[in-house]
Amino acid sequence: MRLAILCSSPYSETGCAVTSRLAQLGHVPVGALTLPSWDSSTLLRKVGQWGLRDSLRYAAAKLAPGETAVQDKIRNPYLEQPLRHRDGVFRSLRQVARAYGFPVVTCADQNSTRAVEQLKHWSPDVAIFTGGNILRDELLKVPRLGILNSHLALLPEIRGMSSPEWSLLCGVPLGITIHFMDSGVDTGPILLRREFPTAADCDSLADLRNRMIAKGIDLIAEAVAGLDRGTISAAPQADREKDRQFFVMHEQLKAVATRRLNQIRSKESRLNPVTNECHG
Amino acid sequence: MNSPDSISTRNVMSTRADRVLNEAAGLVRAPQRVVPLVSKLVADELRTVFEYRHLHSYAAATIPTADALRSIVDWILRAQQADGGIAAYYSLLTGYSDSYPEVTGYIIPTLYDFGDLTKQAAPRNAAERATRWLLSLQMPSGAFPGGLHRSDRGHHNAAQPSVFNTGQILQGLVRAHTETGNAQILERAVAAGDWLASIQQTDGSWSGEGAYQGTAHTYYSMVSWALAQLASESKDPRHAEAADRNIDWVLAHVKPSGWIDGINLRTHPAYLHFIAYVIQGTLECGILRRRDDAIQAAAKSAWVLLRKFETHKRLMGTYEPDFAGGQNFSCLTGNAQMSCVWPRLFEVTGDLRYLNAALKINEMLKRSIPLNGPRGVVGGVAGSYPIWGAYQPMRFISWGSKFLADALMLEQRATREFEAKFETKLETESETKREANFNRKRKAAECA
Repeated sequence: MRLAILCSSPYSETGCAVTSRLAQLGHVPVGALTLPSWDSSTLLRKVGQWGLRDSLRYAAAKLAPGETAVQDKIRNPYLEQPLRHRDGVFRSLRQVARAYGFPVVTCADQNSTRAVEQLKHWSPDVAIFTGGNILRDELLKVPRLGILNSHLALLPEIRGMSSPEWSLLCGVPLGITIHFMDSGVDTGPILLRREFPTAADCDSLADLRNRMIAKGIDLIAEAVAGLDRGTISAAPQADREKDRQFFVMHEQLKAVATRRLNQIRSKESRLNPVTNECHG
Repeated sequence: MNSPDSISTRNVMSTRADRVLNEAAGLVRAPQRVVPLVSKLVADELRTVFEYRHLHSYAAATIPTADALRSIVDWILRAQQADGGIAAYYSLLTGYSDSYPEVTGYIIPTLYDFGDLTKQAAPRNAAERATRWLLSLQMPSGAFPGGLHRSDRGHHNAAQPSVFNTGQILQGLVRAHTETGNAQILERAVAAGDWLASIQQTDGSWSGEGAYQGTAHTYYSMVSWALAQLASESKDPRHAEAADRNIDWVLAHVKPSGWIDGINLRTHPAYLHFIAYVIQGTLECGILRRRDDAIQAAAKSAWVLLRKFETHKRLMGTYEPDFAGGQNFSCLTGNAQMSCVWPRLFEVTGDLRYLNAALKINEMLKRSIPLNGPRGVVGGVAGSYPIWGAYQPMRFISWGSKFLADALMLEQRATREFEAKFETKLETESETKREANFNRKRKAAECA
């Protein structure tokens, strides 16, 4: 199966982990298309948001994120397995590309003619989306089967942004959905839909999100394998009345979601003390 | 022969020219205003260059809501003039305006709400002074005059009754009666309500004499809201019927896109301020009159704006019909009004996305409040961001402060209620789980 990767930055940890995991399983991509690591408008926004000193530090980290500092800590500890290799840790998509032998192409916009032409040139069966622009139809149509996305909530119940947090606040079970992308926001046909039991030792929303990202990578690999063998197929999202799009959550509501997470944790600790000891 | 439209356009041009000359003269009279004027222009220019995306994007709070609220209400209290009325605005060129009866009226509920929240006497005292002043302005018909109090003296429109202003002042009178129990205030409020009902057209609109530019406007749904409030106090079915009739007329203007047509402002674009008026009046009247059709229509329109805000991280200063395009500046008052509408929709529907959007737009609005500067600037809400935007340029406007204060108080109330409800839900869930656990263990023990 011919795979392509769409990535938000060459230094995206999730992008590196997905690519590396798929390559480890024998699905070496035919190429990866990535956005540049930074642009001037992002830097200006950061100056306003964080002040000059922190913004320069951010820019420095983006421009030189320590390609050689292999001992650097992995930001998402649950990605250790796909990111760790014989000589250290994959810090950039280019390192993964060098290890497995596929090209990485940088484009300013994933919907640009150049990006679409590049993807057409690779003629992938499936592309994996790990972040970037909102994709237009022209690009979405290029891979033979479609572009896969890992969404950190159950679809169609929770579409859009801050999905684990909204799942907690809306009382929808936490879950991950692997689906094909279409022109809507998380409205494409579903390949896999799995509930994600909250681990009792999951201590924050960030930790929960990290775990879900890691689980999402496993599910992407499972979906690619299934598509390759022809054992799974996508089903359109049927239950449209449940369909609701959510947006980035405000910190004040996130604090309530955290309390909900803590409550679930303490409940699970009480119900399964032995299991939790094993986790610990 | 000149058409009424060309005459009207000429009048507006001449009013604008007068205004520019007057404001320039204001700066000559008080040259000390040059410093705050220039610093505000420079600050907004820098912000639009360096922080443009950030200002219009959601970012975590830098100013606590309670501090911002205090600062805004202090601005309102400082804007209260010797006569008891609240100035319409503080201009960076001409300073404070004269007292403005309309805004003075509907600022009264805000002052009482803030007094209740902080248990302070000053806002309540200010509300009582404002009420006394307003009662002194009421016309024998029960109506209230339009325009600014002093500047219009001698002008041919000076003593003209105004439907919209009477409705807005009615809100304040009804609240003042609820707070004080003063029968005279209710009597005057009923007189205002009777006047509004008496001049209403058979289709439910207000047009002709007393209506702005002589035509009917859907943003007069704010008047329906005031009448619905009055009906709750007066128990007079005529007031409720008048409110319902107008809402029926407004609902006839709802388009499939969610846009509520009929703002009908000649020579003005549809500023977000007016669009939000239509939505807020329809929603609040719908809630009071238990009109699901009105709530649904307001929710549909408010949802379109919510999606625009969440997608583009900002709302435009004006919108074309069907929300198609608009002018590229922020009408801060309109933003604050939507931030009053969304939490109310959260309270009605329980949909957290409304509260979430209100919390985020409030972050942007709090950042727009000057934390220092001369009296009239500090704590003020500008007409536009940047300050030279099309809506009330170079001014800090009292109705902007009113709506932002309301929005922040609503935010506090809605989040407090939501958190309390959520905690109760969590506790109930834990309790149910504990019971189920206990029963399961007991059953297991019995089986053993």
